[in-house]
Amino acid sequence: MSKVGVFVCHCGTNIAAAVDVVRACEAAKSMPGVVHAAEYKYMCSEPGQQMILDAIKEYGLKRIVIASCSPRMHETTFRKMLKKSGVNEYLIEIANIREQVAWVHDDKEKATEKAIDLIRMAVAKVCRDEPLKSQMIPITKRALVIGGGIAGIQAALDIADAGHEVTLVEREPSIGGRMVMLDKTFPTLDCSACISTPKMVDVSAHPNIRLLAYSEVAKVEGYIGNFTVTIRQKARYVNHDICTGCGACSEKCPAKVPSAFNKGLSKRPAIYTLFPQAVPAKPVIDKDSCIKLKSGKCGVCEKICPLGCINYEDEDMEFTEDFGAIVTATGYQTADWAQMYDEYGAGRFPDVIDGLTFERLVNASGPTEGHIVRPSDGTEPKTISIIKCVGSRDPKKGRAYCSRACCMYAAKHARQIFGKIEGVRVFIFYIDVRTPGKGYEEFYDKTREDGAIYVRGRVSRIYKEGDTLICQAEDSLLGKQVRVKSDLVILETAMEPAEGSASVAGMLGAAVDGDGWLTEAHPKLRPVETQVGGVFLAGVCQGPKDIPDTVSQASAAAAKVIGLLNKNEMESSPMIASVEADKCSGCSACEAICPYKAITMGEQPGREAGGNSKKVMRPIAVVNAGLCQGCGACTVACRTGAIDLLGYRNRQILEEVDALWV
Amino acid sequence: MNYTEKTKLIQTRAAALLEAGEVSYVLGWGATRFADKTRARFARSPEEAATLVYNEHCTQSLAKYLVDDRWPETRIAILARGCESRAINRMIRDNQIRRENLLILGLPCEGTDAERCRSCRAHDPVVYDELLWEPNSTGAAAAAELSRYYRADAVDALSAAEKKAYWDDVYARCIRCYACRNACPVCSCRECFVDMHRTGFQGKRHSATDNQTFGVTRAFHVGDRCIECGECERACPMGLPILAQTQKILKEIEALAGDYEQGLDAAQDNYLGAFDLDDKDDFM
Repeated sequence: MSKVGVFVCHCGTNIAAAVDVVRACEAAKSMPGVVHAAEYKYMCSEPGQQMILDAIKEYGLKRIVIASCSPRMHETTFRKMLKKSGVNEYLIEIANIREQVAWVHDDKEKATEKAIDLIRMAVAKVCRDEPLKSQMIPITKRALVIGGGIAGIQAALDIADAGHEVTLVEREPSIGGRMVMLDKTFPTLDCSACISTPKMVDVSAHPNIRLLAYSEVAKVEGYIGNFTVTIRQKARYVNHDICTGCGACSEKCPAKVPSAFNKGLSKRPAIYTLFPQAVPAKPVIDKDSCIKLKSGKCGVCEKICPLGCINYEDEDMEFTEDFGAIVTATGYQTADWAQMYDEYGAGRFPDVIDGLTFERLVNASGPTEGHIVRPSDGTEPKTISIIKCVGSRDPKKGRAYCSRACCMYAAKHARQIFGKIEGVRVFIFYIDVRTPGKGYEEFYDKTREDGAIYVRGRVSRIYKEGDTLICQAEDSLLGKQVRVKSDLVILETAMEPAEGSASVAGMLGAAVDGDGWLTEAHPKLRPVETQVGGVFLAGVCQGPKDIPDTVSQASAAAAKVIGLLNKNEMESSPMIASVEADKCSGCSACEAICPYKAITMGEQPGREAGGNSKKVMRPIAVVNAGLCQGCGACTVACRTGAIDLLGYRNRQILEEVDALWV
Repeated sequence: MNYTEKTKLIQTRAAALLEAGEVSYVLGWGATRFADKTRARFARSPEEAATLVYNEHCTQSLAKYLVDDRWPETRIAILARGCESRAINRMIRDNQIRRENLLILGLPCEGTDAERCRSCRAHDPVVYDELLWEPNSTGAAAAAELSRYYRADAVDALSAAEKKAYWDDVYARCIRCYACRNACPVCSCRECFVDMHRTGFQGKRHSATDNQTFGVTRAFHVGDRCIECGECERACPMGLPILAQTQKILKEIEALAGDYEQGLDAAQDNYLGAFDLDDKDDFM
């Protein structure tokens, strides 16, 4: 029998108040295999760890059980400690007597019994634990950033500044994302373009950044440190190697289509740059609206271009690159309110616009040069209603979440309106006002001082009366129905995951939640990592957030990437699937079920089953240590039970269960 | 064409193949001392080819024998009806046998005197190298007298209490000889879970509970890959309605995922054994 040491932690009073730790420790002493048991106030502390190390020496302990908090909390801590002592760091089990016992039970007597049961199970398992060794995997020292909004830009710059090569992929013709569409940013009201365009220029000028605009990720293979990514460069029909971005082609192009960047408030030609400060500042042809590409007639841009950049034969191009880490910064789009809100006119009233449209309207570089006018007749509105939580905080519309930035940008819109229209009245319909953030509450106060009228109630209906729009709502503070005559209505719509973010997540093997946001590995302690090793999250793709939070998260993701790329090779977790070749029948059930594509069927020399035992080459499952995440799906798919999860072998788990029946 | 003529065709073709040395043996059926029973026969010479028979008593599906000779030095010829051919496809998919090792002599079938053949919707072979005679033009599916899930339907019609009594009776009679497992063409583990000796609560007893554990586990191991040949029932010495279980699993899968039939080609995934991002998860 192995020499097992049991260490029971009080966790201050966290555990000791609900569990009789001394009794649990005494009980552990008589468990099979246990040669030493001790309790201590804080096992994870320096003296606590030293106590364990001393006991290992004194009693010659070979395996350790620690009864404490959840293994998610301190398993790594204790593994590191064991490494120092020379005992294999996988010969340790944690009995979770805090989250699973102390925090959930009141009856001390019964809780103590349960704690003893858990310790007995851990002892039974630790006796079956095997020493495990991790493998070293090499790392490709390059990073891929998907999405060129402010999150992607920040992450790319930070990684590149640390000296690593970065490829930034953006599907639009220019980087900049949503932030460059905005006029001003809260709470300082500084110009959005003035602070974001210099960063865009930095990206294009950075020697370590390769910018691939108008490109998309088509396929992702591989694993942490060793991704192989196929990137599709969409046909631009313009040779960017020669083009100087003079803009002559765009001026002369006869085709005109609504500009998505200006939210349809203006038109753009078929050969276009997204906006004047675009990076790269070179045009592309939108093949769906180009007359030449559609009908074969036209060709004006080709004639006008002094350098002969235009190539109507251009085609999508695919190429693959290797990366060690991937940052997902796919961002958001605003919810299509017209589809959801028939009561707001479903898009029939031109003077009901969403917040992003207002940003273009109020933007000095926008289609109206910053004049706030009604899209219907171009007159200046005298009364403006702002409606918050459109598409968010409403499970009936499919979104229960708070979109987080709307309270602040609604206040910002009010302030922008006050700054531009003399004597204007602004009503803001709200459910709650949420302003957590530095300087945010002060900003909100100032907005009310400036004269914004906050009405607590969700607008139930918008209808037309003559030339004006009536917003009808119940003012829930007055308990009365109110009707507000408005010349312009701004809907502060929810953010939702950008179109295509689910397919990016799918390619990466990263999880998305019910609303489509990418899921972080741990909501508090691993907020920028995904469950897939080497894939990190930056910005709104993980959930709604404002610009300061987006930029912080992007830098955090960059820090994680830099930490990874600074190593030459990395340790892979040894707790992965392991195949017993003799039992494997080669049926490939595991290959089909593996969500990480970690199993392949390799032809290997083996013996045929049964009496004749002929030597043959036969298919046997092979696990890739880098790809395997240790989820265990294959172990249950395997009908023979030829696959076991190291560290969680069936035998170990059954041993634990058996220990309950004493 | 009657069975005598068909038998003659089989014997002639088998003899020619063996004569030419193209195959090491022809796997078919031979006579027994009972007029209404046949059994598998391995014809290794032109002379033995003359002992092959084919009639309405050929109730055994031959495909399972292929796993006993997975790496033959010379090709094997096998007589394959709908059931054998679908089993072959599934066994290829499970990497148990290789197509290039087989010479499949397709036999369009009109059913045997076994009950399950009356529910068969796939009389004609779905994979073969040559057909020994033309398929019956009437169409096999239309001729099925019993519903596809006739056993499962019968159990589904029972009340919960009746179902319990039904299965209690089945597992009281099961002698756990594992004949159903041995006969099943999609059962292919090198070491079966029931042959692994464990102690504690995983140990084995001869009790209705343990019989049921075996039965249900077996059903789930093969259920979504079941090619509905009914070999399990044919092999069962106690005459237990084993098909009811796999039929039930197929029936449920079909209700969830639409048309579902296994063994139609050799690349087909099985429903419970595949992972896809578009998998139905509205129950979560």
